Amino acid sequence: MSEIRLQAVDVCKTFGIVKAVQHVSIDFYKGEVHGLIGENGSGKSTLMQMLTGIYTIGSGKFILDGKEIHVKNQVEANNEGIAIIVQELGTLSGLTVAENIFLGHEDRFVKFGIKNTNAMVKEANELLKKYGFERINAADMIHRYNFEDRKLIEIVKSTYFAPKIVVIDETTTALSQEGREELYKHMERIRNEGNTVIFISHDLPEVLDKCDRVSVLRDGVYIDTVNASDVNEDDLKKLMVGRELGEHYYREDYGEKISDEVVMSVKNVTVPGVIYDVSFDLHKGEILGFGGLSECGMHEVGKAVFGASYDREGTVTLADGTLIDSIPVAIKHSIAYASKDRDNESIVINQSIGDNICLPSLDELGGSTHILNDKKLKEFAEKHAKEMTVKMVNTDQFVSELSGGNKQKVVLARWIGKNSDIIVLDSPTRGIDVKVKADIYALMDEMRKNGKSIIMISEEIMELIGMCDRIIIMKDGKNSGEELLRSPELTENDLIAKMV
Amino acid sequence: MGSSNSKGGLNKIFGRYTGAVILVGLILVSYGILKILRPDTFGQPNQVLGYFQQCLIDSVGAVGLYFIIVMGLFDFSIGANCILCAIVGTVCMKNLGMGYAGFLIAPILCGALVGLINGIAYIKLHIPSMIVTTGLALIYESVGYYVSGGVQAFLTKDQNFFGHAPGNLIIACAAFLLSYTILVYTKVGTYAYAIGSNEAVAKNMGINVNKYKVLTFVITGFFDGLMGILAISYGSSMVSVTGMASMSRNFAPTMGCFFGLAFRQFGLPIPAIIVGEFLIQIIYNGFVTLGAPTAIQNVVTGVALLLVVALTMKPVKGEIVK
Amino acid sequence: MANTDVIKNDEVLAAEEKALKRAVIASRVRAILPVIGLVAVSLIFNILSNGKLLAPMNIKLLMSQVYVTMIAATGVFFIMTMGGLDFSQGSILGIASIVFCYLSRFNIPLAIIGGVLAGACIGAINGYFYVKRKVKSFVVTICTMFLFRGVIEFATTNAPVQGDIVKTMSLDNNVVKMTITLIVLLTAFFFFRFTKFGRYLKAIGAGEKAAAFSGIETDKMKFMVYILAGAITGLAAFINVVKVGSVTASSGNQLETQIMIALVLGGMPISGGAKVKFENVVVGSLLYIILNAGLVTLGLTPALQQLIEGIVFLIVVAITSDRNSVQIVK
Repeated sequence: MSEIRLQAVDVCKTFGIVKAVQHVSIDFYKGEVHGLIGENGSGKSTLMQMLTGIYTIGSGKFILDGKEIHVKNQVEANNEGIAIIVQELGTLSGLTVAENIFLGHEDRFVKFGIKNTNAMVKEANELLKKYGFERINAADMIHRYNFEDRKLIEIVKSTYFAPKIVVIDETTTALSQEGREELYKHMERIRNEGNTVIFISHDLPEVLDKCDRVSVLRDGVYIDTVNASDVNEDDLKKLMVGRELGEHYYREDYGEKISDEVVMSVKNVTVPGVIYDVSFDLHKGEILGFGGLSECGMHEVGKAVFGASYDREGTVTLADGTLIDSIPVAIKHSIAYASKDRDNESIVINQSIGDNICLPSLDELGGSTHILNDKKLKEFAEKHAKEMTVKMVNTDQFVSELSGGNKQKVVLARWIGKNSDIIVLDSPTRGIDVKVKADIYALMDEMRKNGKSIIMISEEIMELIGMCDRIIIMKDGKNSGEELLRSPELTENDLIAKMV
Repeated sequence: MGSSNSKGGLNKIFGRYTGAVILVGLILVSYGILKILRPDTFGQPNQVLGYFQQCLIDSVGAVGLYFIIVMGLFDFSIGANCILCAIVGTVCMKNLGMGYAGFLIAPILCGALVGLINGIAYIKLHIPSMIVTTGLALIYESVGYYVSGGVQAFLTKDQNFFGHAPGNLIIACAAFLLSYTILVYTKVGTYAYAIGSNEAVAKNMGINVNKYKVLTFVITGFFDGLMGILAISYGSSMVSVTGMASMSRNFAPTMGCFFGLAFRQFGLPIPAIIVGEFLIQIIYNGFVTLGAPTAIQNVVTGVALLLVVALTMKPVKGEIVK
Repeated sequence: MANTDVIKNDEVLAAEEKALKRAVIASRVRAILPVIGLVAVSLIFNILSNGKLLAPMNIKLLMSQVYVTMIAATGVFFIMTMGGLDFSQGSILGIASIVFCYLSRFNIPLAIIGGVLAGACIGAINGYFYVKRKVKSFVVTICTMFLFRGVIEFATTNAPVQGDIVKTMSLDNNVVKMTITLIVLLTAFFFFRFTKFGRYLKAIGAGEKAAAFSGIETDKMKFMVYILAGAITGLAAFINVVKVGSVTASSGNQLETQIMIALVLGGMPISGGAKVKFENVVVGSLLYIILNAGLVTLGLTPALQQLIEGIVFLIVVAITSDRNSVQIVK
């Protein structure tokens, strides 16, 4: 049973100054489903992307069946018997289903340079039939199928050649129950054939249910490997979080009364296809949390409040009656927004730290003459960057060179510079290391004390419980009903119960 | 999302033949309108054949350029390349006494070589293809001038076999078939689409992106050579131009490619390219019989291309377009 | 454990600082290369032509060539800063020149306004298809270039279009032309450098979505800048007509290519963004014209001139482009 299939030996990887993976060694056995868990930024995806050639290996090695392997891309990984199903869409539009399934492996259909399309389609159809996906036609262009079907096609693409290792990287969150069952079936089949599934998921009950053993990473470091049958969810959580969530991390106060003053009122907001009929009030000086599964629509709530949604219905009204219906109006009326998609939406990635900090505040910096003064801008940027302790050489440094945590600090610096009263933070600590996380939590607490109102949208349940005065749980694009109030007794299970 | 576009209704009725129906319909409608307006001077059978032969030159260039366009790149040197190839072919046939063999082979080799230079320069310099090919077009134009000795290259009556049927049809049909084969039945076609769809993912899948980009430039150059043969044979002469005047030869093929892209969803890019070029010729000739000056061709091409692109693309909210 | 971590981080930071300093120096060098090129090209050709190139008479001639390119390049510069492209400038110049000629028969100020409005209208057409219909700027402007080139040919089918010769000729002096050019350049420089206008354009070029999320009305900006670029070239049409007197079918032909080459020679990053500098316009236009004129004074044939130009262009682009960036280049 416990024959070793794959060994990760002392594997490291750094991005700039961020150490994503540090000296990780794990053994994976033949015929097991091996769970790999950890918080966001714990390095589990990076480790698997090194294994499958998406990233180069920093240092250390992978040993497959006793032989060290070095793969440079997915096709080479496939040839070694390693496949991956990625979190995002891994199929290419513009190609047919068959072409996608065999991309990079066309050679066996090619004779004298001519590709036998019919044979390829025929074989692809046979594969699809074998997997039970008859309704998918291999000759069709792939963009005719929806996200879920494309994921199923990816399952075929990455497992038809009976690979020794299949990595499934957080695929289940994007799938419906039906799609999940489909995936579980194939995981089981792969295991029963004596091969190995490495299963990355945030859904702990799922991990416990489907995996034989579970390895835990935290902040890029290997923590432990346990038998799934020996542990429960709380044990896993303890391993993942690792630290006593104590004094200087989350907020400490309990029982403070939320002000009655409503600063913003959201009424019947609908964004077709994403969120439906969402209403809530935001009070002065509170942190209002939004939680839910990744596709529950909570991220769109932030955009809707900021006037950044398309086709939004319903109203977002400030205390003075101002209707927020576009980003410029929102910013003008002191609303700030930090997006989950930090690199594309929160900061102008190919610009300097200074330019980024000044950008929303140019009207104020221009004063009545509207003439910008370089020195004044530089002082402004430096002041707020230092205030946020951005680790940088100087404000001329490009944001693209910073780590995730420092980028987020720049994002916060620009809105603090703007002195916004309502701050919408979507996944503020996503992919950020512990130290910066603590800084951000402290800052949020300080802002709250200064009478600012914060909306915090997060997939990390612990930080919602630790930081928020009230938590609204979203489900299937709707407000799931009752809200959870701040209390030391609040547990993750209370939230999860309402999420699923 | 997928199939729920504005042509959903047509799709239901005609199924997999929707694209073909739209293409034939476009030709019949434009022909019909002009025929009603000018029943006597427009659209006699031999005239229609003439329009078709006129469109072959640009079509041949377009079916080659299509591979570049599909990858999301551009080639601004095809006009200069076409002129250069035509001149090289003529010189080989007439001055070097290589006959029709030289006239056929030399332009093709020259075109492919130019394509190779384009591709290598683009990869090595790491600058946008549009810019590289513009700079190189300057060079090709002047090389064309030197090869021709600064005088007009011309063909005598017995040398322009490829200027009329069946010569031009043979070359054009061969070109269309070749392009179709490469696109559908080789890895190059698949990889060109893959690179155009998402270069990063394609690279990850083990596709040697740079190699296929260069190869695609060579293919485009190859078809430019054929285009050059047809162009000089049709007009019997070719003048080398300078000052980027060759740019004007880029537009009709580019337009055809956009037509092809628009009909890619129906799986008919190559026929759509030819029909697109044919359509332009019909409209243009129709306008001329209506008494419009020849300058109208540019206007027709410009408006047609703008409308085709604007109407076939469905703007996606929040999409970043540069 | 935690302690060693901090120390290591500082080490890494120090290394980063070094790398950054190197990068800063490299980018500074790249930034002044066009200026060095300009000086070098001027000196080399001046020596080769025995001082003919920079002789006072020739400088006057040189300057008269530079005005139109430089003014029109200013508008394209704004567009390219946002990461867009405009290939319709030559046709805009032609159409605006025709409008100017017709209206100059009534009076000159009306004609100038007419030219500017004509340019702005074409710019608005570009902007409509680009912003509202989300067609790539490159495709849109190639279409309009072609389309309006046809219109120009149509208008000049029988004979070149001529304005009021007496009135226009009287304005053909360097003081008027230089004053207009300077006003355009200084105004553009002021707004680009010292108001939020320039910063917004750069932000759009560097990251459009983030720019929108910073409160910039990106669609409106893009639309307005295309109109502005059209209007600026419409103004250049005035100088163009005054200089050449009449409009032919090829009037303004290839202006767009000249502008693009000039801007690239001036060190303009082709995808716009944060590293754009206004000097790019001035240095680039001058470099392009002097290179051209220098090759002419050497008595080279047009074809040889072009060959050299093409090679110089590619060399400059190769030197100034940032090949270290991992960005995908299309």
